[in-house]
Amino acid sequence: MTFSLTLSASDLLLLLPELFLTLWLCVVLAVDFSFKRIVQEQLAYLTIFGVIITLACLAWFDMTGITGTLFGKMFVVDRMAIFFKVMILLATILVILLSIDYVHRFSLFRGEYYFLVAMSALGMMFMASANDLLSLFVTLEFATFGFYVLVSYLRDDMASNEAGLKFFILGVFAAGLLAYGISLVYGETGKLVFSDMTGAAPTTGLVIGFLLIFAALGFKIGAVPFHSWIPDTYHGAPTPVTAFLSIAPKVAAFAILLRLFLVALATFKPAWALLIVAASILSMTYGNIVAIAQRNIKRLLAYSGIAQVGNVLIGLAAGTKMGTDSILFYLLTYLFANLGAFAVIMAISNSVGSDEIDDYRGLNRRSPFLAFAMLIFLLSLAGVPPLAGFIGKLYIFVAAIKEGLYILITVGLVNIVVSMYYYLIVVKKMYINEPLDSSPIKTTGPLRAVIYVGLAGTLVIGIYPQPFLDWAVAATLMFSNLIGPAASLTPPVTPFGG
Amino acid sequence: MLEEFSFGFPILSYLIFLPLVGAAVLWLIDDEDLLKSTTLGITLVELALACLVLVRFVPDSAAMQFAEHARWMPALGIGYHLAVDGISVLFVGLTAFLTVLVVVYSWDTIRNQVRLYFMALLALETTTIGIFVSIDLILFFVFWELMLIPSYFLIKLWGGGADRHYAALKYVLYTLLGSVFMLVGIALLDINYHQWAVTHHLDHVYSFDLLELLSVPIPLSQQILIFWLMFMGFAFKAPVFPFHTWLPDALVEGPIGMAVMLAGMKLGTYGFLRFTFPLVPDASKSEGVVAIVMVLALSAILYGAVVALVQSDFKRLLAFSSISHLGFVVVGLFALNFQGLQGSLLTMINLGFSTAGLFFMAGFLTTRQQSSHLSSFGGFAKQAPLLATFLLLIGMASIGLPGTNGFVGEFLILLGAFKAKWWFGAVAVLGVIFGAAYFLWYYERAMLGPLSKNVSAAVKDLHMREITIALSLSIMILWIGLYPSPFLRMMNGSIQALVDRLDRAKVASVDTVTHVPAK
Repeated sequence: MTFSLTLSASDLLLLLPELFLTLWLCVVLAVDFSFKRIVQEQLAYLTIFGVIITLACLAWFDMTGITGTLFGKMFVVDRMAIFFKVMILLATILVILLSIDYVHRFSLFRGEYYFLVAMSALGMMFMASANDLLSLFVTLEFATFGFYVLVSYLRDDMASNEAGLKFFILGVFAAGLLAYGISLVYGETGKLVFSDMTGAAPTTGLVIGFLLIFAALGFKIGAVPFHSWIPDTYHGAPTPVTAFLSIAPKVAAFAILLRLFLVALATFKPAWALLIVAASILSMTYGNIVAIAQRNIKRLLAYSGIAQVGNVLIGLAAGTKMGTDSILFYLLTYLFANLGAFAVIMAISNSVGSDEIDDYRGLNRRSPFLAFAMLIFLLSLAGVPPLAGFIGKLYIFVAAIKEGLYILITVGLVNIVVSMYYYLIVVKKMYINEPLDSSPIKTTGPLRAVIYVGLAGTLVIGIYPQPFLDWAVAATLMFSNLIGPAASLTPPVTPFGG
Repeated sequence: MLEEFSFGFPILSYLIFLPLVGAAVLWLIDDEDLLKSTTLGITLVELALACLVLVRFVPDSAAMQFAEHARWMPALGIGYHLAVDGISVLFVGLTAFLTVLVVVYSWDTIRNQVRLYFMALLALETTTIGIFVSIDLILFFVFWELMLIPSYFLIKLWGGGADRHYAALKYVLYTLLGSVFMLVGIALLDINYHQWAVTHHLDHVYSFDLLELLSVPIPLSQQILIFWLMFMGFAFKAPVFPFHTWLPDALVEGPIGMAVMLAGMKLGTYGFLRFTFPLVPDASKSEGVVAIVMVLALSAILYGAVVALVQSDFKRLLAFSSISHLGFVVVGLFALNFQGLQGSLLTMINLGFSTAGLFFMAGFLTTRQQSSHLSSFGGFAKQAPLLATFLLLIGMASIGLPGTNGFVGEFLILLGAFKAKWWFGAVAVLGVIFGAAYFLWYYERAMLGPLSKNVSAAVKDLHMREITIALSLSIMILWIGLYPSPFLRMMNGSIQALVDRLDRAKVASVDTVTHVPAK
């Protein structure tokens, strides 16, 4: 295999969003160092400005249909990569907005915070484009690197340090697994690029290799049994970082999972589908049941996030074009609802100084707007129509039913009922209980902006999802050759009800 | 395809969204009196619109009328399709009618968080009307689920009982559990359509539209699975015995307004008529299914009636009598003949007047004595003769005395049940006898005899608002009882079409039925 490192102008064009963001990060850092008087808010908006330009660039790619591969297929720009990058950047903008009121809690290095957030976003953008084993490893580590620092940014806070350490140790462990898995797979196949591996003979080494890679990615998405770092890390990390961690790395890791399973391992679908089904059932059940017992809202969302990942895995288990569409769409709905919920949490935490669910008592009296927004976000997470989360769940379930995954569906449905229980507990505290302290809660502009964006996303996607569905469907055209048994022209021979 | 009648303007959309917009308007109003009169105004306009639909509805027709159709999510085959036919049109009127009465009732009985209460009530009206006019199954499901949210708040925030929090949560979780299974059934229908559409090279390969799903054959084994999945959804909501345990809690603990809407709107049994029977006719008439459901329904009649007999709290008595009545409705449905279906449909409407009316009465009693328990009453007719009279009239309708609406419906159901199998009818008749017993026994102990010392002399008879409620209910009860033909004519066409569809379906042989999946 030879790598050509001569880049033509058109090659550079494919890298334009990443290149621009890299340069802009340097600008942000330089501005932070050069102008001692600069207020951190200005730095935040400067970073956001750069991210928006990057987004515009991606939108241009998407509209004009610019696609291609670079570096011997290591780096791929296709519509799916663009979809994932847009989600990552959207999350980044919202998270930076969330951070503005929080950053003053950091004793040092406030300016670098934005740099690190955007740098992680850059790493995750590369993840969305990773198309071979090497770029998988490099981009994954690049993206995680920023998070190691961000999680322990509250340097005087024991919980934050503990969270950082746990995240670091398990992250490094996952990286070890990943490297080991990659070496096994490369040793068995002699191939690095996903699309070249299709049809490789299933030797023991290859199976173990892929299991190890899946384990490493399982850490990133927080699927059971690789979830153990999630609750403490979410709890201890600065809340905006938790918000970022709860969506962006999952999105990026799913991009890799899709390419890995549906391209490299397309021929072994019956085998890995079982693995995914198991992970999905475990994640949904464990996440939802443990979430019931939580008293801290960040931990509640951590466990509910584990369960949500279980839901997304249903789409992967289906392993069809429709399953892929549903994953993309679901992640989009999850992004708005989850970041919106975190914005409400931030607003309350800034004013009350606590994340305990008991402090949400009587929120409706203290701030009807926050209570209403939280209600919408929680109901969307639970999948109540006509909110975005419902359409997402429906899409995923239809894709899975089409493949006859009845056991998985049954577990998923029972889990919806379980999840409704703990979301309703929060709703009850907000609307029914008397407030402990009836002083109104103030929200600041940036937080309100995030809540408005979250509400708009949740309601618009719920009521008029068609453009978003079209976008997701168009983004995964590369998978349209994946035809499941039910989509073939003959009716299924297996009777229903088995 | 069925011909479609329509107004020049989308009247069903107006019906759905008027209360919702109204709820938003309430947000802006601060004055409590203005708030109440605005709500009343909105619900009256809604009632007028519903009456317009009823008046312009072409009777003796099976056609879907006032249809509105727009694409909503073409990628998934989900459409915004509204229409009414003989099965649903009366429910629209009933919903609008009962909501007005609930607003009148709530005028002075709701004292805290008045604005939120009326907003929730209007939201409930929107979702209930939405359930009745949706033809697209996902649209239907959206309203079906959405209905839980205002209901949850109504029970929880304005419920009278100490266990209202438990009752609200139980109601939501039970219904949700049933409806997630229903969602799988709906998805299976969609997948079945998809396979058919792909083999027939249709343009759109997904559909949740009832009319389109009806045009596609479904294999029997799959029909049975879909039947039981949808059954879960409807049985939990209806509720069919033994899925009924949430109902007494919700009815007793919740506010009267909510109890009226819950007991008055037979959403679950409506679902059978609207979706289950037409979509999976083979499964619906297969022997195994009919036998299981009939046994459940007959047990419900007897169980509900016997438990009601020993209740000394009027609201609890009504809750169990509700379960018994629902058993009746289900017996009529699964008799699967014209009389049975028509009787069931009419009884669902009737219960909207009589059971809901009795809950209003329970409310009147509670406002006077702070309880509907027997110990607070005795000889109450002396103190409140008007109340006692209306209670007797509405109670008679609930028992099914000739001359009231209850008689027409029950008679048709029994006729249908005897025609199907004689012992269905024989057991169901027992329910009628028990029904008379538990009501009359309570009435005698509470209203007749010497005045109990627990009743203070200061207790007043019905006042104007309460008389309005009782009178309008009584008028409807006597109207349907004495001159039911306009109502029956409205439903005839659709019922006949449904019976034809059921008759055309193959009779399932016994050996295929043995593969019923265990639930």
